[in-house]
Amino acid sequence: MPIEVLLVEDSPGDVRLTREALCEANTSVHLHVANDGVDAMAFLRREGSYANSPRPDLILLDLNLPKMDGREVLEKVKGDGDLKTIPTIILTTSEAEADIVKSYQLRANCYLSKPVQLDAFESLVKSINDFWLTKAKLPHQSQN
Amino acid sequence: MSSFDLPHARGLRGRIAPETAAIQDISVRQEVEKRVAQMEGRYRGLLEAAPDAMVVVNQDGEIILVNLQAKKQFGYVRDELLGQQVTTIIPAGFAERLIADGTRTAAEALAQQMGTGIELVARRKDGGEFPIEIMLSPLESAEGILVTAAIRDISVRRDAEKHLAQMEDRRRLAEDALRESEERYRMLIDGVQNYAIFMMDPRGQIVSWNAGAERTKGYRADEIVGQNFSLFFPSDEIERGRPEQVIRMATLRGRHEEQGMRVRKDGSQFLASMTLTALRDAAGILRGFSEFSHDLTESKESEAKYRALLEAAPDAMVVLHPDGKIVLLNLQAENQFGYQRDELVGQPVTNIIPAGFAERLIADGTRPAAEALAQQMGAGIELAGRRKNGSAFPIEIMLSPVASTEGILVTAAIRDISVRKAAEKHLALMEGRYRGLLEAAPDPMVLVNQAGNIVLVNLQAEKVFGYRRDELVGLSASKLISEDSLELMISQARRSPDGTLVEKSSAGIDVDGHHKDGTSFPIAVTLSPLETDEGPLLAVAIRDITRRKQAEALLLHTVEELNRSNEELGQFASLASHDLQEPLRMVASYTQLLSKRYKGRLDADADEFIAFAVDGANRMQRLIQDLLTYSRVGTKGREFVEVSSEGSFECAMANLRGAVEDSGARVTHDRLPAVLADEGQLIQLFQNLVGNAIKYQGPGIPEIHVSSARSGDGKWTFSVKDNGLGIEAKYFEKIFGMFQRLHRREEFAGTGIGLAICKKIVERHGGHISIESQLGQGSTFRFALKESQVTP
Repeated sequence: MPIEVLLVEDSPGDVRLTREALCEANTSVHLHVANDGVDAMAFLRREGSYANSPRPDLILLDLNLPKMDGREVLEKVKGDGDLKTIPTIILTTSEAEADIVKSYQLRANCYLSKPVQLDAFESLVKSINDFWLTKAKLPHQSQN
Repeated sequence: MSSFDLPHARGLRGRIAPETAAIQDISVRQEVEKRVAQMEGRYRGLLEAAPDAMVVVNQDGEIILVNLQAKKQFGYVRDELLGQQVTTIIPAGFAERLIADGTRTAAEALAQQMGTGIELVARRKDGGEFPIEIMLSPLESAEGILVTAAIRDISVRRDAEKHLAQMEDRRRLAEDALRESEERYRMLIDGVQNYAIFMMDPRGQIVSWNAGAERTKGYRADEIVGQNFSLFFPSDEIERGRPEQVIRMATLRGRHEEQGMRVRKDGSQFLASMTLTALRDAAGILRGFSEFSHDLTESKESEAKYRALLEAAPDAMVVLHPDGKIVLLNLQAENQFGYQRDELVGQPVTNIIPAGFAERLIADGTRPAAEALAQQMGAGIELAGRRKNGSAFPIEIMLSPVASTEGILVTAAIRDISVRKAAEKHLALMEGRYRGLLEAAPDPMVLVNQAGNIVLVNLQAEKVFGYRRDELVGLSASKLISEDSLELMISQARRSPDGTLVEKSSAGIDVDGHHKDGTSFPIAVTLSPLETDEGPLLAVAIRDITRRKQAEALLLHTVEELNRSNEELGQFASLASHDLQEPLRMVASYTQLLSKRYKGRLDADADEFIAFAVDGANRMQRLIQDLLTYSRVGTKGREFVEVSSEGSFECAMANLRGAVEDSGARVTHDRLPAVLADEGQLIQLFQNLVGNAIKYQGPGIPEIHVSSARSGDGKWTFSVKDNGLGIEAKYFEKIFGMFQRLHRREEFAGTGIGLAICKKIVERHGGHISIESQLGQGSTFRFALKESQVTP
């Protein structure tokens, strides 16, 4: 049974790194990518070309995004009765206290900073997989 | 009165006594006694002839001695005034001054007399009032300090003129009566007891003699009728031809008046006042003379008292012969002119008053007493006095005639007005100086009266406000300073506790000033109230603060600019290093990925190139991280709070545990104090310094010791001492700079920012970091932090 993960990330480099690391950690992950906030919301609400997209089991959300930034996406997701149960992990380069506090205020499930070193990044992605995709029990809301 | 005793009186006797003691021969002693009596008579005469009423008052305001003038002026008989309060005769103004004077030292009280006399109103016994002028002087006595007041009746001038006119009328009436009836005249004169009245023929042979004459001169009528009247003159006057002279003057002028010594039948002398009138028949032919004379020596008071009073007189008093020779003087005269009494007696007055006086004096001597009396009524004559040492001083002289056994003498009251003159000069000088000071003041200054009008301005006030001086004087101050501000300032001034305006309460009141052309400009005003003769005035010092305001505005602007610039710079450093991280992470991650996946699978060159790329990216990352830390020292710093430096040190050691373990370093420390600091930065500081000490280790095991010592200016100096490589002195300054490295990268990794961060942290804490080191001998870094107020 595949695990659906939505990565909201505008940097192709980071997308690739995340994909490499995540797929190395767990081969049953289906990684979907949205390049900005608007795209992400469309995916989650199955709008437009995303009409048939699956409901993700986990969202990896960057904060600094074009069009609609990560904070806004987080606010919309956690304000949406249907979407708010999806665990949403902030994965960003920012280490700013303000961003961390704001994210948790908006009900982020977890806040992670992208490490600079490749090794550290790989081990971080591995621990996401170990915890959120393996150990944690996630709600499986039936699709309409 | 009889209990009266003054040191001066004793002093005077003392003065005369040695002279007496030297005398052996009885007849000589008698001569001396006669002279003493004569002297005393002179003192009394002098005092009584003093132009002023003189009153001695004690500190309680009680009158203890008066002279004849005083009794006369105030209308009291002999002892009535003694023991009375001085307010009885001078109801207001004097007692207060007197008592004030009494409590002061003699010198201070003396200073009092320097001003011109105090003008007050005196009251006579009968309730009548008259204007007086008072001069005070202190008098040391057994009863404490007494005050002698010389009281000048300044209404005398007018009264005297009137009086003289009245006297003239009376004389005329008497003459008429004489001519009217010889019988009535005879009856009249026979009955008169108090006056010697007798008639003479034109040669001076006595033809009639009354009871008064018998009583006064001691001759019975039958003894004297037929004798010449020259018999009554002292022998020296007879020799001088005085009797003939008197006859001649009476003949020429119709009457002759004089005071002089006369001789009784028993040879004793007495002071007489006499009027000789030429008697003519209807045809105008001289028939003879009548003489009215009166014994003046009636006062029996102690001579010593007069002397004492005279000596206590505030003025120098000198008695002169009409020929200008000094007969007598008082203590003040000695003091003023710097002579001993005996050096002056018998000398011409020109010795002490070189010009102007002797001439007047001689003129006075030749005039009748009445005329001479008139002379004294004018305001004093101002002349120059000369001291024994030759120095001159200004004096004011009042003259009065006095009759004595030696004929008419002139008493001169001499007032030293040098202090008054000096005071006037000083005042003028001071005024000039103040004026100069005022005009030279760099700020405008105005003096405002109670009505709010300007009474005085300086040059700057003219310049700054654009008005001419004559426009400013009389102008309302509200034209220069808005009324509201002025009122506010004055009310603030009134609130100050002691009524005087304290500098701080008034300084720095910034208000608007108004130029004549209608423009306004900022001014700072300082107010100080002044008590003056014109009532309270307000001194207003005004500073044009246009430039200061401009400078303040400029400074404020500059500070704002600087703050903004600093903030921007901090933000820039933070953002730049943050945003640099992002692409750098890409470079680093992918070169690492490349290395991981393809190492050994491409050729050797590729492996080397990838290795360089990875190393470069790693170093770039550390550099950015350090830069970020450096920029955050200023921008992300926290408030200084009381921090245990020991706790901070422990925390830094925990962060360095790996490095410590790897190197095997021994890190020791003393007990460290509490300080005022940003804890995060203090940890960073210890971490960097101890970290460096471990990193740059010498050949042996690193030994690091951290200690602290109080430096006395409320600071603690910390030392981090190691046994590492050490640093050459020439690099001491350099190592604290940005990107400064002393070693090749292959030897020691690092960005060269660590010590720059340390320096920035220490400086942010108001301290200074320094190093003491020798190559190969280890290093000691020192820095100071403020001690916590709470912990000693």
